[in-house]
Amino acid sequence: MNGLSLAPTVIVDLAGSGVVIFLSFTSLLYANLLVRLQPKNFIWGFLFYFCFAMAAFSISRGIGHILRIFLVLRGEEDIWQQVSPWSGGFNTVFMISVSSAIIYYHKGLEAYKAVRSEAEKLARANRKLAESADELQKVNTYLEDMVEERTRELSKSEKKFRHFFENSKDMVYFCDINRNITDINQSGLNMLGVDYPAEQINLLSYFKNDSEVNRYIFELRENGFVSDFEMEIKGRDGSVRHILLSANAIFDQNGNMTGCEGIAKDMTRLRTMTEQLIRQEKMASVGQMAAGVAHEINTPLGVILGYTQLMMDDFDKNSEVYANLQIIERQSKACRKIVADLLKFSRQTDSARAEVDLNELIEEVLTVSEHNLNINHIQVVRRFAPILPRIIGDAERLRQVIINLFNNSHQAMADGGEIHITTRMDSSSGEIVASVRDTGTEIAEEIKPKIFDPFFTTKEVGQGTGLGLSVTYGIIRDHGGNISVESPVQDPQTGQYTQGTAFYIRFPAAVGQKFINEEK
Amino acid sequence: MKCTFRPLSILPLTFLQLMQSADAWALQPHGGGEGLYVHQMAHFFFMVTLTYLYLHTRRTQDLVSRGWRYLRIFCVLFFFWNLIAIVGHETAQHLSHDDFIDAGTWSEQLALPLTFLKLVYYISKMDHLISVPALLALFFSLRSFYLEAREEEA
Repeated sequence: MNGLSLAPTVIVDLAGSGVVIFLSFTSLLYANLLVRLQPKNFIWGFLFYFCFAMAAFSISRGIGHILRIFLVLRGEEDIWQQVSPWSGGFNTVFMISVSSAIIYYHKGLEAYKAVRSEAEKLARANRKLAESADELQKVNTYLEDMVEERTRELSKSEKKFRHFFENSKDMVYFCDINRNITDINQSGLNMLGVDYPAEQINLLSYFKNDSEVNRYIFELRENGFVSDFEMEIKGRDGSVRHILLSANAIFDQNGNMTGCEGIAKDMTRLRTMTEQLIRQEKMASVGQMAAGVAHEINTPLGVILGYTQLMMDDFDKNSEVYANLQIIERQSKACRKIVADLLKFSRQTDSARAEVDLNELIEEVLTVSEHNLNINHIQVVRRFAPILPRIIGDAERLRQVIINLFNNSHQAMADGGEIHITTRMDSSSGEIVASVRDTGTEIAEEIKPKIFDPFFTTKEVGQGTGLGLSVTYGIIRDHGGNISVESPVQDPQTGQYTQGTAFYIRFPAAVGQKFINEEK
Repeated sequence: MKCTFRPLSILPLTFLQLMQSADAWALQPHGGGEGLYVHQMAHFFFMVTLTYLYLHTRRTQDLVSRGWRYLRIFCVLFFFWNLIAIVGHETAQHLSHDDFIDAGTWSEQLALPLTFLKLVYYISKMDHLISVPALLALFFSLRSFYLEAREEEA
C-alpha cells in the first residue's frame, strides 16, 4: 500500500450526492404541499423557495460530482475541465440563492408577523364583534319575542275592548279638551242621530238644557268625573232622549285636563215606562176616588132630581117657583151626566161586548159628525186598512171614544184644518191601531202627562168639564187597549215634525177573527 | 393584506438569475482563481445566513414546534458542512499532483506520508456524511410542518 485509498470518499460522494438530491426534492415536495395547503402562510412560501434553491443546489452539486467521477474515471478529464466551471458556477449561484432566500425570510417574516399580528388583532376584534353581535342578536331576539308577546297581548286586549266599545248598547265616547268627540261607538251615533262621524261633533251641543251643560263642565273640572248624571240630549233628528251619563276627565302628566271619556245609558224607554206606570197608578187611584164620589153623589142627586120633579107638578108652569125648579132639574141632570161620565171613566158602568168592526164604527160616527166638521172648515181624510180584524168591545162606548177624539180635534182647530183618520193592523203586536190626527194647536210638553186626568182642561170655566179624554182613557183601558198622544207629529218617513196632535189607540184583535176584505 | 406565495412565480426569477450568471461569465475578464474566491465567499455567505436563521428561529418564541427544531439542526449541520467545504476547497489548493497516486482511477490514493493537510483533505471529501444528515433534518422539518399544518386544517 503506497497511500490512503480515496475509494471510500468516491463511494460516499456518489451515494451522498444521490441521497442529498432525493432528500432535497422530497423536502421540496413537502414544501409544495405546505404552500398548497396554506397558501397565505408566508413561512411556507419562504420554505418553498428555500427548498427550491436547496434542491437546485443539490442537483447542481450532486450531478456535478457524479459527472466528475464518471468522466475522470473514464479518462475524459478534458471534458470535465470544460464542464467544471459551469458546475462550480451553478453551485455558487444556488448557494447564494439559498442565502438570499434566508435574507428574504428576515424581512419577509417581520412583515408577515406584523401582518399576522394585525390579522390576529383583527380576528380578535372580529371575534369580539361576533360575540357582541351574537349577544346583541340574543338580546334582540329576546326583545323581539317580548315585543311580539306584548303585541299579542295588546292586540288581544285591544280586540276585547274594541269589541266592548263597538257592541255596547250604551254610548261610549272620547272627547278632546274642547269637548269635540274624537271617538264614539255606533250606539252613541244612534243616540245623537248622526249617521257617520265625518264631521266634528261637539258633545255639549247635543245637551238639551244649558244648566246641564254648565253642571257637566263644572263637575268634570272640579271633581274630575261626573257620576250618574241624569240629563236630556236632543239628537240631530230632534228626538229627545233621557240619558244617565258617567264621565271621567283625562289628565296629562302635568295634571292638565286634556279631554274626557264617558259612557251614557239611554233611559228613555225606562223613563217612559215608569211614567206610564205612575200615570196608570194615578189614574187607577183617581178612578177609585171618582167611582166612590160618583156613587155617593148619585144617590142624593137622584133624590134631589126626584123631589124637584115632584115639586114641579105642584106649581104652575108660569110661576117663578116652577122656573126655579126647572133650573134645579137642569143642573141636577148636568150633575148626573158628570157622575155618569165619572162612572164611565172608572169603569163602573155595564157594557155589552160584541165583535166590532172598527172601520165601520168610525164611519158611523163620521156619518153624524162629518157634516158639522165640514161646516167649521175641517176636512176629514180617511186612511182605513182594507183588511182589518174585528175587536171585541162595547160599540156604544167605543163610538163615544171616537166622538171624544173628534171633539178634541175640532176644538184644537178653531180656524179649520184636517183630521186624518187611519186604521191598520200591527202584525208585530197583533193589535188594531187607529189614529186621529189633527193639524191644530199642539199640546204643550208640560201638560201632556195631565191630559187624561179627570177634570183637567185648558178651556175656560164653563166651557168643558175636563172629563172627555178621561172617559176616553177609561173606556179604552176597559177594552184592554191603550191610548197615547204625539204632539207635534213626526212623519215616520221623512222624520220631519208637523203641527198638530195625534192620538193613537190600540185594541187587541179578536181571536180567530175573520179579516174584512172589503175596500173602504 | 394577502400574502399568497405562488411557486411558479420564482421560475422567471431563477431563469433571469441563470442568464445573469451566464452574462457575467461571458464578460468575466479575470482569471480562474476568482471563481474559487467567489465560491468560497458564497460558502461563507451561506454560513452567515444559516447562522442568522438558526439564531432567529431560536429567538423567536412562536417558532417552537418540532419542525423548527429540525430546521435548526439542519442549520447547524449545514453550517459545518459549509465549513468543511471551505476547508476542503482550501486544502485542495495546497495539494499537488504528486500527492496523489493513480489519479483519475478507482484506485486513486493519497500518497504517503499522510500529512495534516492530506488528512484534512481526506476528511473533507467525506462531506456527505454531514450533508446527508443535514438534508435529512430538512426533510423531517418540512414533513413535520406539513403534518402539523394538515392537522391544523383538519
